[in-house]
Amino acid sequence: MFKFPENLYVDVRIEETFETKISFKKMILQEQKVRNNKGAFVRVYDGNRWYYASTTDVDAVQEQIDTLAKMAKPNPEINNHPIVRQFEVHKDQLIQYKHNSITDVPIAEKKAMLERYIGLVSDETIVHHTSYYVDNKIIKSIYSSKGTDVTFDKQTCGIRISLELSNGESKDQTSMSRAGSLFEDLFELEDFINDEMKKNIDFVKNAKPVEPGIYTVLLSPLATGVFTHESFGHKSESDFMVGDETMKAEWAIGKTVGTPILTIIDDGQVKGNGYVPYDDEGTKGKKTYIVTDGVLTGRLHSTSTSALLEEELTGNARATSFEFEPIVRMTTTYIEKGNRPLADIVAEIDNGIYVDNIKHGSGMSTFTIAPSRAYKIENGKITTPVKISVVTGNVFETLGEVDAVSEEFDLLSFVGGGCGKMEQYPLPVGFGGPYTRVKKLNVQ
Amino acid sequence: MKTEFITIRNIETTAKVVGTKIDAVRIKDIIKKGVRVYVDGKIGVSGAIGDIPDDELIEKAVENLETGIEYPFELEKNLVDHRTYSDFSMSGEELLEVTEEILEELKTNYDKFLFSEKISVKEKIIQMRNSEGLDLEYKDAWFELGLILKENSSANLFDGFLQYSGRSFDKQKFWDFNKGYLEAYDNLLALPEGEKLPVFVLEAYELNDFLNKSLNGERYSNGSSILSGKMNEQLFNDKITFGQNFDSAVTFEPFFDHEGVVLKNDRVPLIQSGKFINVFTDKKTASTFDLPHTGAAEGSYDGVPSLTTTQLKFETDSKDIKSVLNGKVAIFALVSAGGDFTPDGSFAAPVQAALLFDGEKFIGKLPEFTMRSNLWAMLGEDYIGTFDNPFYSVENSQMQGFYMTIVR
Repeated sequence: MFKFPENLYVDVRIEETFETKISFKKMILQEQKVRNNKGAFVRVYDGNRWYYASTTDVDAVQEQIDTLAKMAKPNPEINNHPIVRQFEVHKDQLIQYKHNSITDVPIAEKKAMLERYIGLVSDETIVHHTSYYVDNKIIKSIYSSKGTDVTFDKQTCGIRISLELSNGESKDQTSMSRAGSLFEDLFELEDFINDEMKKNIDFVKNAKPVEPGIYTVLLSPLATGVFTHESFGHKSESDFMVGDETMKAEWAIGKTVGTPILTIIDDGQVKGNGYVPYDDEGTKGKKTYIVTDGVLTGRLHSTSTSALLEEELTGNARATSFEFEPIVRMTTTYIEKGNRPLADIVAEIDNGIYVDNIKHGSGMSTFTIAPSRAYKIENGKITTPVKISVVTGNVFETLGEVDAVSEEFDLLSFVGGGCGKMEQYPLPVGFGGPYTRVKKLNVQ
Repeated sequence: MKTEFITIRNIETTAKVVGTKIDAVRIKDIIKKGVRVYVDGKIGVSGAIGDIPDDELIEKAVENLETGIEYPFELEKNLVDHRTYSDFSMSGEELLEVTEEILEELKTNYDKFLFSEKISVKEKIIQMRNSEGLDLEYKDAWFELGLILKENSSANLFDGFLQYSGRSFDKQKFWDFNKGYLEAYDNLLALPEGEKLPVFVLEAYELNDFLNKSLNGERYSNGSSILSGKMNEQLFNDKITFGQNFDSAVTFEPFFDHEGVVLKNDRVPLIQSGKFINVFTDKKTASTFDLPHTGAAEGSYDGVPSLTTTQLKFETDSKDIKSVLNGKVAIFALVSAGGDFTPDGSFAAPVQAALLFDGEKFIGKLPEFTMRSNLWAMLGEDYIGTFDNPFYSVENSQMQGFYMTIVR
């Protein structure tokens, strides 16, 4: 298909996307559009430096390859270079959504479904609401000078309803979202929407400012997902470790990083936002045990970091779009479920906080979770709603503070937002896990 | 039928840096094109990436009219305004030379750190034109350096960053500033005593975001803003003037909104000398809620214009941080990620990296802490001021100071 120059490694990723967006403000349609776009990302490697180009002119990919090749220095030993040797080579046509493609669902059905759900939104405290349905189907083709020739598809669709609430001087803005791989995954969300709406109305009516301090914090599956992603997930991305002896020593495989009840997994094979049948370098998606029973057992890799750190490939090289190069990113990252009932875990908390829903999180040395809905836990019971700006913890200490994980477990996908890493945002990732209790977190 | 085109072209050359070494070179040239058609008070939209022929896009936009989305507003017309904010240019080869030179200096003199991420030359051209004689063009180009720094001995993901964005690049000024900045890392200090301390930040993102939600005309009118019902009240410190700012020299963004509106002097004050005088609106919100139209429409290149957030900035109200501090020292919050406001205005944020400074020079590195306040205090009695950024970091940016409660 392409003429790859000799003595260089080359790969090409072509992305063909189909997107729908339908948005409402209250019951009035604001926007309804369909996008069909195509773009390509080209990489050339000479063993010393990478040369990248992104283009919207997919007919000119060969020109881009030739241009980048001129910038590179031909290397007769390129195929023996450790990074080039490390690339998986696959030939595959993995088209999974031929017969249940979101592109085949009439736009009128998508719109009608959203209208049905926003028809449920009603209460005197809900002074405004906006909502949207979005879907995204992408067909990716990856070709390399080592012989990779892979084409695969993936798709997601979802709804998001944002509420603005007012009860006298008490205000709140919050949202609810669900996503799936198939249009049918969005059916029968009435109970979810009604339940979320009820909780949010109660919150704006009754929430009180929290007394800042150190608390035992119980995290919902959603909050656990964000906690896992932010507190430890980013630390497991091995590009932070390349050429850094301190990081290598700090995060050495075999080191105890958490309590023995803690197992953390990143799995690119889970359908949903983090689904990666092949990553953006053509490596097959894999299940990686990052932490097993509290001990560091793995980390996430691109081909380059896997070769440089001499560890196995994990299929975590991902790019937000054809405009960017793949870098090490999470897929669906979660804490494995435990064996204790939620009710027992709550019953043991005398004075704590339950984080039910979140706005955002961040993952540096001090990680953060900004709750949108939280409650006090008093004498073993979830009680009054509380307003919290931010919950923080230290990445190096917090996994050692996890003292209970529930048998109840949920993996979730959403639309709107995603993971950000440097210039690449938003990348869809999967979240979730069990209910997780952390002995000490700073609540402000 | 009336037609309107938006074309966005982003051209970029980037040197990607890993471990204080150039790892990759990336070139980009991305075109995005959107079309809107207007017939009988309805709007149809379409768009594509790549240089797609206009006729093809118009045909799809006409099909999109079937959605029946109303747009009964007059289009902007009879205005030609082309502005070029920079003639900065640097070839790919020159960029690599500059990058190598910077990295060599860092390796030689600051080898206690590892530097990663990127140094870029960016060019942006955004055009909006319609069949009614509107013809707007924003052209800009700049040099952008964003290197995260990590101390060799640290197990953090990163411990700070070197940052520069500007339409010119003066190496001497860059090193004059960053020498003091990097050397401050050698002097580890304890946080100063006191429950409330002066904290300075470059661009207070969480505050700006909260004000953006609160000053949205739609939210204000439907009662969900913390400012609802408070119009014309003296709410904040009388030094504060805050509002829409579409001055591209400052924002590195177009000087017009998504409906092609060009503001007089590129600004609309919403808070004037501490008094809340206006909210921001697009044409639809202004009409629906009988509010002044302030030209704040947003949207994607291929979307229907709507009201979401807009470009808001404080006017600089104070000079000379050192004299304002009057011999005291202050905290410069270098990295503060993940903080937020509650809907009732309480604010808390961790500060992951901070330096002590005297208003001019950095003195040393401080431990991590959490800062806490609320909207009314930050913009009231605890507001120190908005200053022109005294550092050689982001062209035409600002630094703000607030007294904050420190949680150690």
